Amino acid sequence: MNEATELAGEVSSADPAVGLRAVASLRALLESLERLQVASARKQGWSWQQIADSLGVSKQAVHKKHGRG
Amino acid sequence: MFERFTDAARQAVAAAEGESRGMTSGHIGTEHLLIALAAEPQGLGGRILRHMGAGPDDLRADARRHAGPSAIDPDALATLGIDFDEVKRRVEETFGPGALSRGRECEGHIPFAPAAKKSLELSLRSAQALGDRFIGSEHLLLGIARADQGTAARILQERGIDLKRLEAAVAQARRAA
Repeated sequence: MNEATELAGEVSSADPAVGLRAVASLRALLESLERLQVASARKQGWSWQQIADSLGVSKQAVHKKHGRG
Repeated sequence: MFERFTDAARQAVAAAEGESRGMTSGHIGTEHLLIALAAEPQGLGGRILRHMGAGPDDLRADARRHAGPSAIDPDALATLGIDFDEVKRRVEETFGPGALSRGRECEGHIPFAPAAKKSLELSLRSAQALGDRFIGSEHLLLGIARADQGTAARILQERGIDLKRLEAAVAQARRAA
């Protein structure tokens, strides 16, 4: 996400309203994709640890966000 | 209640779900009903909206602006060179239709937001107030405008389309018909 946010800052318009909206949309898209991929990985038997490693975050963080089933 | 809807009104309500899906909103709000109504070619409600300069594309842009930071705005992503429709197409290829919004809705069926439910009730009351036994697109339009907690009512107000103007337009069109 940090990379994406940086990219947005570099590429987008000098108008903050446009740039910020693009960042917010990118974040919303990212959240949706993450939800889908995590759910898919769980369904395929991946452990929380494996998912956390792939996302580059702690197991606690990923479990707290996507846990409970 | 739906059996009393005219074809135009029924089509607008059905199309609202598609508008919600297109914006990955996770609920059907008054704004989606309003857009669908503006896009419906036959009914009086849609014709009045378009006549007042509120076509479906204008209203979609308004709705995106109102959707706040948690929604995906394809136009904003386009400023970064990201083609959201293409992203959506690829994701749906893997995860199935509506996958991008599924996290916020239950199994394909998108629920109505409270204000949208209210607007349907108010369209019934608008029909009754005009002495009509059916619920047409014009009653739906009045109901949407009367649901003052809804996003659509705010969008209409920002466009200078208030309830009085709508009531006058409906009355005039009915006299002409």
